[in-house]
Amino acid sequence: MKRKQRTEILIQDGGALAKELAESVMQNYEYREIEEPHYGLTMIKMRETAKKSLFYLGEVLVTEAKIEVNQSIGIGIVIGMKEELAEHLAIIDAAYRADLPVTATWQTQLETAAEKIHQQKVKEQAEILKTKVNFETMEV
Amino acid sequence: MGYVAVKGGTEAIEASLDRLKYDRLKEAEVVEINTVLATMRHLVDQVMSEASLYAPFLAALAIKQARGSMEEAVFLLRAHRSTLPRHYYSETVDTEDMFVERRVSASFKDIPGGQLLGSTNDYAHRLLDFDLVKESKEENQNWLRTYHERMKADHPDKDLQFFPKVVDYLRAEGLFERYPLDDTPPNDITKESIQFPTGRSERLQVLTRGQTGAVTSLGYASLRGYGQVHPTIGEVRVGSVPIHVQHPYEEDSEQDDSFYIGDVQLTEVESFVPVTVKNNNQKEELEFEIGYGISFGQNETKAIAMSILDQCLQKPHGEFPTHDEEFVLLHIDSVESTGFISHLKLPHYVTFQSELDSVRQVKKGGESNDS
Repeated sequence: MKRKQRTEILIQDGGALAKELAESVMQNYEYREIEEPHYGLTMIKMRETAKKSLFYLGEVLVTEAKIEVNQSIGIGIVIGMKEELAEHLAIIDAAYRADLPVTATWQTQLETAAEKIHQQKVKEQAEILKTKVNFETMEV
Repeated sequence: MGYVAVKGGTEAIEASLDRLKYDRLKEAEVVEINTVLATMRHLVDQVMSEASLYAPFLAALAIKQARGSMEEAVFLLRAHRSTLPRHYYSETVDTEDMFVERRVSASFKDIPGGQLLGSTNDYAHRLLDFDLVKESKEENQNWLRTYHERMKADHPDKDLQFFPKVVDYLRAEGLFERYPLDDTPPNDITKESIQFPTGRSERLQVLTRGQTGAVTSLGYASLRGYGQVHPTIGEVRVGSVPIHVQHPYEEDSEQDDSFYIGDVQLTEVESFVPVTVKNNNQKEELEFEIGYGISFGQNETKAIAMSILDQCLQKPHGEFPTHDEEFVLLHIDSVESTGFISHLKLPHYVTFQSELDSVRQVKKGGESNDS
């Protein structure tokens, strides 16, 4: 699974799955903290819809960590103040970069979590869709 | 006139800080940051937007520390932002990827995807709700339980819906001009001070971090005749958009290799502004242009006002202050305007003595120092 998809699942899951996967690496492989979790900023680049040009919207606070596993450095970045999650994401990223065999076993767990997140969003959206206006034009 | 150093205030300042702490603590009530976050979300959104830093927890902390003073909370958050390193720039955010929580149009009732009222005060009675004086946590939990049970019982469609922009629908009909993607790298006003005339990226960055009241007032002034823009709202949408960043070292990485880092909630507005233009035959005809507004969090009034000012500044006009970019852009920043106004209460003894000397001279029948 590519990084974009798996980081989305791991962050939107809330951290429990990231913890489980990271611990399975920490128990079986040596790891070294390159950069402990720290706060930083990410500037958001937007495309406005009037003239389709780019501008900077503002910054978002992120927590970032870097961890080395099997001579591969993984990065964990997440919006907010989430030290533990950033660390777990970095370990998981390093595991994928090092192509550790354990990563092949994670596919099913990630897909299951993705389905659960999707269902939750669909239900949330169903509630929002109940606020859709059903216009009726009145005869005068 | 130069500045002179004075001393003698140290003990008074320490005592003043004690009074400040006393005022915050004297009622023996402690407001938890999570309480501010959970119950004062619009306030948190406004502080984040004006500070230009999306950090809900820190904004709530700033509100607590500032005892609810907006200008102080924004100042605190802006100051904290200056202590943090910026490691990343996001990939370009497109609001078509938004998980829409609310979306309305004042221009068309039948927009593709429909109008979603979402969560809004717009249709609520503006009467004080005295039930909130004695709110029961138990009753609230019961209400929430019922709501969640209803959600569980629903079996909605399997797919998640994403909503097209109203303006794209009109562009497809040929009613609005189409623009190719403009990938000119934006300027960043936090790195370089703005120079006049400004570029569009600078104007949008200043407007989106403007003080809500100031942006709203100037937008309103334009509507009342101190400007030439009176739009119809094409679309207001509120929702969360995903933020992605590229790997800092993997140069040849594909888009699928970027990091998803989380979502931010935004309010985005497109205003439709009628303008008269001359066609190829030199005949006047009516066209529409688009004013653009956006804000961190849910702040629809500010985003709408920003869309008015965006369009005003696209069309400079010497007669109207709201079309003067220097007038608008240099006066809407919360930290700059409140900072300058409030500095007036700090000691100006030497300056004022000089002015007094001048007045005394004039009263005595002499000439002032300035003449």
